Amino acid sequence: MIDIKKEIQQDRRAFIKKVLGGTIAGSLLLVIPATAQEVAEEIPGMRAEDSVFTKKKFVFIVDITACIGCGSCCVADKAEYNVPDHNYRTWVERYIIDDHDGVYVDSPNGGLDGYTKPREGLPYPTRDTFFVPKLCNMCEDPSCVQVCPVGATYKTNDGFVLVDKTRCVGCSYCIQACPYSVRFINPVTRTAEKCTWCYHRVRKGLLPACVSVCPVHARKFGDLSDKTSEVWKILHEPHVISVLKPDMGNKPALHYLGLRREVV
Amino acid sequence: MHSESKTKYYSHLVKLIIAMIVLGVAGFFARQLFSPESMGEYGHYRGADIEDQKNVPVRLQTNESCFQCHKPVRRIHKKGVHKSVSCEVCHGPYADHVKDGKKIGMLPVKKGKEITHLCLRCHNKVIQARPRTSIKMVGMPEHLQEKKVRIENTCDQCHMVHDPLLWINQAKEMIGIKEEM
Ligand code: HEC
Ligand code: HEC
Ligand code: HEC
Ligand code: HEC
Repeated sequence: MIDIKKEIQQDRRAFIKKVLGGTIAGSLLLVIPATAQEVAEEIPGMRAEDSVFTKKKFVFIVDITACIGCGSCCVADKAEYNVPDHNYRTWVERYIIDDHDGVYVDSPNGGLDGYTKPREGLPYPTRDTFFVPKLCNMCEDPSCVQVCPVGATYKTNDGFVLVDKTRCVGCSYCIQACPYSVRFINPVTRTAEKCTWCYHRVRKGLLPACVSVCPVHARKFGDLSDKTSEVWKILHEPHVISVLKPDMGNKPALHYLGLRREVV
Repeated sequence: MHSESKTKYYSHLVKLIIAMIVLGVAGFFARQLFSPESMGEYGHYRGADIEDQKNVPVRLQTNESCFQCHKPVRRIHKKGVHKSVSCEVCHGPYADHVKDGKKIGMLPVKKGKEITHLCLRCHNKVIQARPRTSIKMVGMPEHLQEKKVRIENTCDQCHMVHDPLLWINQAKEMIGIKEEM
């Protein structure tokens, strides 16, 4: 205090200059963020869309012939949504088919901790083995929406099936109705929850978290109305593509590349 | 006398109809009162939920977002064989580390045995379900025995975690130069 007074008395002009200089530098620091800016758009044209529903038609493709079962997608998903333990919005299953056509499936902790051990104690030699990541199928005719008694689960005009947390009463009808078992009751909020294909990220021009972290590009997400997109090419050129449980009639928008008929 | 008895005869019906109308109107207003404003705007759901869904916070970013501050890692990771591997899978989500462009917390850094465990998540040969075309794998402890080191050695002693072939290629280069001379 005394020092400042002394300084002011010594040279008023210099003091004011010093203070002003300080404030200008300070405000410049606020204007120019010394640090992180928004990352570039990952879905072309997404940030320009400002209507309630997008004009895009999104599809998700999982490449079973590429998946290494590392569980990066599961780690990312849990972190993105703080999913409570032992509940999974997405998970990875390991399939083993033996030479007597026996099918064995396991998924320790949903693949969240990765696969550390080979499966033991199987009676016959393995003929085929692979990983199958699972997530919401975003059906065109979703059974979960049909059964919801309070209008909490709904399908948007651009094809996302979402759950309104404020409407859901936790009756679990949708969990019974989903042919793909992707829904669960969140033990914290006591409402139904499921994968949304990261609707909030997609609307901000970012890829779903699981797609973004996959190290081998086994998860692909894109716009089917864009004929230059990778997903359009996959679905319009010769490939082994299929959906899960096609005879349920739900018409999933989630497709699998290289799907074996044993997978359910 | 005659008309009076007729009114009496119908009065219970009239009462019933009035009661139903009153209940119907009350029900209509109760529904209006209890269902949210934007219910039915686009379908049988609360239209405003779309806005709520959009506003769910993003917690994971991309590798690019980390590179803005971590320049030394950027130089190594972007060019290396691990460029497709996500920082946040090994370290944790952006939102726990940075907020509004400022560091708000530390992310964990794995050490020692944990690193080996992390690497084997993707590179362990005993997991047969991994397609060989997607990734190169090593058997443990054969990989370490082949390199003639103790099997307790962790992967990061020879492999730079952010570009596992960096040091190995440098070493090969050095040996190559020596051989030329
Ligand atoms: C706003 C700038 C900024 C961004 C963006 C950022 N970091 Fe950091 N990070 C820092 C700072 C500052 C430190 C502290 C460095 C220190 O103390 O040595 C740090 C520390 C770390 C550490 C711990 C290092 C140690 O020695 O313990 C890790 C791991 C890390 N960051 C990873 C990440 C990842 C992964 C991302 C992307 C999701 C990221 N950072 C994005 C600024 C940033
Ligand atoms: C394969 C998992 C993995 C990935 C992917 C990864 N890291 Fe790391 N990172 C580690 C490990 C393990 C360490 C500890 C290194 C050690 O102790 O030798 C580390 C250390 C660090 C440190 C501490 C400083 C240092 O260099 O020792 C920072 C900062 C960091 N990482 C940032 C990043 C960023 C940014 C990315 C994304 C470009 C990233 N990491 C990707 C595993 C990973
Ligand atoms: C999330 C999965 C993942 C983790 C964890 C991971 N890697 Fe990798 N690693 C990959 C992928 C993907 C590649 C690239 C494969 C390709 O392009 O052929 C790769 C490439 C490599 C390569 C080069 C192989 C070659 O010759 O092309 C080495 C060596 C390697 N990783 C070692 C490590 C080590 C050491 C660790 C632990 C610090 C580690 N990896 C952790 C996924 C992972
Ligand atoms: C003693 C040093 C050393 C240690 C420790 C070590 N590696 Fe390696 N690793 C190497 C060398 C050298 C190569 C390159 C081999 C070559 O080019 O022929 C290699 C290659 C690899 C490759 C590529 C294999 C391929 O087919 O091209 C992977 C994957 C790998 N290491 C993973 C690991 C993992 C995971 C660990 C930890 C469990 C580990 N390494 C520990 C020295 C080491």
